[in-house]
Amino acid sequence: MLKGVQIAGQLVFDPLRRLLDRGFGHRLNPLNFLGALTIYFFWIVLVSGIWLFIFFKTSVAGAYESVEYLTHEQWYLGGVMRSLHRYASDAAIITLALHMIKEFLYDRHRGNRWFSWVTGVPLLWLVIPLGITGYWLVWDQLAWYVALTSAELLDWLPIFSESMARNFLSDEVLSDRFFTLMAFLHLIGLPLFLVFGIWLHVLRINGPRINPPRALMAGSLIAMTVLSVAYPALSQGEVDMTTVPSSLGLDWYYLLVYPLMKHWSPGWVWGLLTGTSLLLFVAPWMPAQRNRASAIVDLDNCNGCARCADDCPFGAITMMERSDGKAYETEAVVDPALCMSCGICTGSCPTATPFRRHSVLSPGIDSPDMTAAALREKLLEDSDKLEGTHRIIVFSCRDHAQSARLKSRLDDAQTMTVAIICAGQLPPPFIDFALSRDLADGVVLAGCPGGDCQYRLGADWTALRVARQRDPHLRKRVESNRVALGWQEPWSACGDVSGIVAALRESLPVGTGGTAGIPSSRRNPWRVPVTAFVYVAFAVMVGWLSVWPRFQLIDEGNAMISLSFSYAGQRIRECRQLTQEELNRLAPNMRKPQDCPRERLPIRVVLSSNGDTLYEDIKRPTGLWKDGSANIYKRLTVAGRSQKLFIGMNESGQSPEFDFVLEQEVDLAPGEHLVVEFDDIQKSFVFKQD
Amino acid sequence: MPLLQWKSAYSLGIPSVDHEHRELIGMINEVYDHMEDAADPVAIESCLEDIYASIASHFALEERHMREARYTEYDAHKDEHENLLDQLLEMMDEFADDPQSGRETLRKSLADWFGIHFATFDARLHESLGDHHG
Repeated sequence: MLKGVQIAGQLVFDPLRRLLDRGFGHRLNPLNFLGALTIYFFWIVLVSGIWLFIFFKTSVAGAYESVEYLTHEQWYLGGVMRSLHRYASDAAIITLALHMIKEFLYDRHRGNRWFSWVTGVPLLWLVIPLGITGYWLVWDQLAWYVALTSAELLDWLPIFSESMARNFLSDEVLSDRFFTLMAFLHLIGLPLFLVFGIWLHVLRINGPRINPPRALMAGSLIAMTVLSVAYPALSQGEVDMTTVPSSLGLDWYYLLVYPLMKHWSPGWVWGLLTGTSLLLFVAPWMPAQRNRASAIVDLDNCNGCARCADDCPFGAITMMERSDGKAYETEAVVDPALCMSCGICTGSCPTATPFRRHSVLSPGIDSPDMTAAALREKLLEDSDKLEGTHRIIVFSCRDHAQSARLKSRLDDAQTMTVAIICAGQLPPPFIDFALSRDLADGVVLAGCPGGDCQYRLGADWTALRVARQRDPHLRKRVESNRVALGWQEPWSACGDVSGIVAALRESLPVGTGGTAGIPSSRRNPWRVPVTAFVYVAFAVMVGWLSVWPRFQLIDEGNAMISLSFSYAGQRIRECRQLTQEELNRLAPNMRKPQDCPRERLPIRVVLSSNGDTLYEDIKRPTGLWKDGSANIYKRLTVAGRSQKLFIGMNESGQSPEFDFVLEQEVDLAPGEHLVVEFDDIQKSFVFKQD
Repeated sequence: MPLLQWKSAYSLGIPSVDHEHRELIGMINEVYDHMEDAADPVAIESCLEDIYASIASHFALEERHMREARYTEYDAHKDEHENLLDQLLEMMDEFADDPQSGRETLRKSLADWFGIHFATFDARLHESLGDHHG
């Protein structure tokens, strides 16, 4: 079933990538740099965050005011920084989500690549709370809602004995300590773990792309800055806990699940979150990838030159001390737990040369799945059938979905498709071999579309090897107008592989030598419109979902009642006065006059409005020995009007009688917030309004 | 007497590279022996192909050591390696096309092809690396 999801997803993703390829070109296609872009956005967040921190006051009274100062008085710098801080963190969520979706859709999360996927999942649990604590620090009405809802979520967990949400119901109880705690989490705690997590995430891969190309950095920074100036991030009103904001602009990138709390119990929300995370954690094994044979080192042909170790995209090859007593220092050793069997190592091996008519072709490192010798055989056998003067051999990546269809579509009297594992698997001497031994007149390396290599670096390494910028170089005698790399300019403009084959055939020099007839790289008319559209669409999407659609905390015309107190119920039986005789039997320092049981009874609470019960519950005492207070915390929505409110509590559980009651006509206007508290000193309930 | 001879003065002090130099000298001498014997072209061709594979990986190894030692003339040396590979392929092609004239070319240039590189580029490398490695 997941396979179906992947195929369906690719149908959406492929056209998007093609569009972006048109505009940005494959070297700058943002979809090839999603992970790096996410990290880059975090850099923007970090830099702008430092500016905000300089002016931020970590206190109940100072937080809102200092952020307001930044936003309005210092709009040209502080305000822009604040907006950048928000929008870059929103943008990071978009690129992060796309990054995950893409790796999943193209099946790059399974097999020996599971480690990068699995270490990516906990990063979500760091990034999202980072955003949430950030919204909390601003201490506007949205922050109040975030604080209240977060506390309600956390209260559900059996960690705190007291309700944390209670701190956010009225001004008197809210303390500056909370801001110190949030500032610590937001500025130090979570970022520290995030940096460590990112390090772990890229640990196993070779040469991870940490930075996107400069052009993309500049483009996205400009897009975010323009958005920040045109549509600055604003606070949503000072907190007034006696009223409920009618509606809030919610940042859906970070607070997506919060609105669920309006109808769901916190348990369900936690269930959703942990369920999704678990699903993500096990995704690489749904189903597990059939492990192909790892690369094999042939020590007779390995002199320890380390090219394969340099080129392996998954860091699966290490150079270790020589084990066979030969006069070499090191040898390549493959870790089967990391090897993705892509064959890029064979492509890098200097001994993988097909120019061997009489001795066996056995490179120092080879893929048992498709050996260099077998490739050579196939090449020699099949090319025999080609006819004419415009024969073209297409090497196509076996694992890319396209390659299955390529053979039937392309092969004819003068075209032949050879499936290889990855473009990077083809040692450059094979291109030289095919052309110099007159097996063909032109060679096309199809590769993954857009150069977005299934095995990360195969397309890059191939392009560099062909351009003689990375070992092993393609020999100089190979005429460049006889070779086409499907993902590279100018060939990428030819559409699909059959277009590239046709274009190469068209441009093949007649005889030897001759000048290149490669389609000239004329100005790309798509560049400006597509890039402009993508940047604008991206900025609009970032700005839009960061405040819209608005969320209604309580429905129109309603008011909110919070029930919040703790009360120690009756002990399970009465205390008993010890007799003198009993006391005498005790050690002198333990002579308590009364014998009291520790355990308490549950309390029963009923809240009703105009006789209709709004809330009724029996709460058990807290504590291991059931000797603590029972906690009542409940947020309710009622019609906003004048009503007779009744609260009753029975301190010994079941009995229908109430030990404490309060009945009062209250005028509850729509949007008003009333808190029902229990005054421990007066031993009575209070309805607190403004 | 063999055509090329190994001298301990050639040593770079890197056992693997020295070992391969010796092997390559042996292989080139072998081709000459075959040519003297007027052996069948297949044997010579097969030797050349082995030399090509061996020298390609030898250069790769030498380049690794040069990079690790931060050898200052790396780029020039590397370019020369690439040229030598191009030249060897040319000689091989010529021999395959026409064994008679190809044999003449080989006789004239094969020793120089490797010998000159050895005497110039590798000697410079020796000066730079040899001492440090004893």
